Amino acid sequence: MSSYFSIEYLALFLPAVLILYNLMPQRYRWLLLLFASYLFFWLISGVLILYLLTATLTTYIIALHIGRLQQQRNMLLQQVDRPERKAIRISYQKKQQKFITAGVLILLGMLIVLKYSGFIGINIQSLLNVLHLPLTLQIPSFVLPIGISFYTLQALSYLFDVYREKIQAEWNLGRLALYLAFFLTIIEGPICRYSDLSFQLYEGKKISWNQFLFGMQRIVYGLMKKIVIADRLNLFIKTIFHDYNSYDGGMIALGALLYTCQLYMEFSGTMDVIIGSGEMFALKIEENFRQPFFSKTISEFWQRWHISLGLWFKDYIFYPLSMSKPLKKLTAWARKKVGNHYGPLASGAIALFCVWLANGFWHGSGWNYIFFGLYHFTLILGGSLIEPVTSRIVSFLRINKESAPYQFFQIIRTSVFVVIGELFFRAKGLKAGIHMFITICTNFSWTSLSNSIFSIGMDRQDFIVVIIGILIVFMISVVKERGLSFRALISGQPVMLRWSLYYMFILFIVIFGAYGVGYIPVDPIYANF
Amino acid sequence: MERLLAILEDIQPDVDYKTCTSLIKDHILDSLSILSLVAEIEDEFDITVPAVEIVPDNFNSADAIWTMILRLEEN
Repeated sequence: MSSYFSIEYLALFLPAVLILYNLMPQRYRWLLLLFASYLFFWLISGVLILYLLTATLTTYIIALHIGRLQQQRNMLLQQVDRPERKAIRISYQKKQQKFITAGVLILLGMLIVLKYSGFIGINIQSLLNVLHLPLTLQIPSFVLPIGISFYTLQALSYLFDVYREKIQAEWNLGRLALYLAFFLTIIEGPICRYSDLSFQLYEGKKISWNQFLFGMQRIVYGLMKKIVIADRLNLFIKTIFHDYNSYDGGMIALGALLYTCQLYMEFSGTMDVIIGSGEMFALKIEENFRQPFFSKTISEFWQRWHISLGLWFKDYIFYPLSMSKPLKKLTAWARKKVGNHYGPLASGAIALFCVWLANGFWHGSGWNYIFFGLYHFTLILGGSLIEPVTSRIVSFLRINKESAPYQFFQIIRTSVFVVIGELFFRAKGLKAGIHMFITICTNFSWTSLSNSIFSIGMDRQDFIVVIIGILIVFMISVVKERGLSFRALISGQPVMLRWSLYYMFILFIVIFGAYGVGYIPVDPIYANF
Repeated sequence: MERLLAILEDIQPDVDYKTCTSLIKDHILDSLSILSLVAEIEDEFDITVPAVEIVPDNFNSADAIWTMILRLEEN
């Protein structure tokens, strides 16, 4: 089983778990999900399941200790007068801090050693070489368990939420283990919060026919995005990014544009399969995308793209940092000196820098990922810095900010910035990314684009199929953007028309899906992070 | 409440804070405005707003912010 799009998952694993889930008494359904989740992990990562078990046990024990300290503190607070309460709170706060620090160090330590030790080792070795020091490091290399970046963030969010007393520590180890290992969220997210997911998993709600049908539709939609669009684009993108020296700026720009499209279709398509599978189990898994290519600013883009990751960084890095005592003082001081707009920008920028550095690192251990994070940091901070100036220019030119042409300009501008970012993200290292970007700026030609476009793995028919696929996704996105549900619109149609549409859509996937001989499906891109 | 409305008006003018219930949802208050707002209300009401309180439900309306301030004052 390699991904949610594999035959093994769609034709064997999912149906088998679904049938058994329905046969099980409601109170034991969560145990089946737990067993299925560990089996799923075992089938993909084998013995590396030990890392998951270690992370689960660590999280469980530390959260229980924090919970116990909170209980002790609350009992003490009831027994003393108000003046003594502050001292008790501070004393217990310090004790809890020791546990949460240990938890963060263990969980992050495992992630850093497994995921980044190679990168750190290579860079230290390069530094030693530059300094002409005759030392050779043994650079370790580890096989990553699937989903480590996702389950680590979920485990950390659980610990922080217990520490902040947003939730109570879970005494049922199985329940916590299911939340961390749940087979639908472990490989590519979304990064769910314990308070949103755990109760649903434990509840074992009865499945309705409508939910089942809606889930199926969502899965089929995800399949279309993946095998009609993302997989078909694969050969073209792989060639351009591998042999980037052989192509001019026009072809590289097209490669970057198509890669952005592929990444969106692959990742959001996976989310469709995950959310659709969840619906089949009567589970509401949070959306991870909200029509990102309708964003008017980069900041808005990141509120619509990989939403759960953005929220995680906001809740556990941005606000805690920017609300720390030194940065709060900085905000208050700067606000008095430079006013409402630039005042909070100083502390906001420091917190934002940490968020985007973490975002870059989270995506991978390479300088191009770090560049990708800092590129977005620069765009967002730059946007905030020049916002008063752009507002003045817009009002001086009497441009209506709400007008369709202006909003269209904003959407295109944002999309161009996103595509440039994704170019560096996909490039084979930072040097390659810079080279490709310079080629676009200095050696762009429309003629070579029209001459060679159909010679790299995709012919005219392939492009037509991809464009039709993108148009379908675009139409559905427009409907969603207007606050309507496409599936509700379809389900309101007469039965004949409705089923004709379903069959047409399935036939479209069967006929135009990129599978079989000559096609190599794109690997689940986000599963590697 | 009047002091809170004055702070909000100072941070982001031209908003009807008495009726608006979607300050976060409609991006009227962004992350940076929240930082300003928190710094101001901490000064003005002598409270500490922990990061855990920074959730949309606490900032979507002036009423919600006021309720949070009263709750933190009690603590």
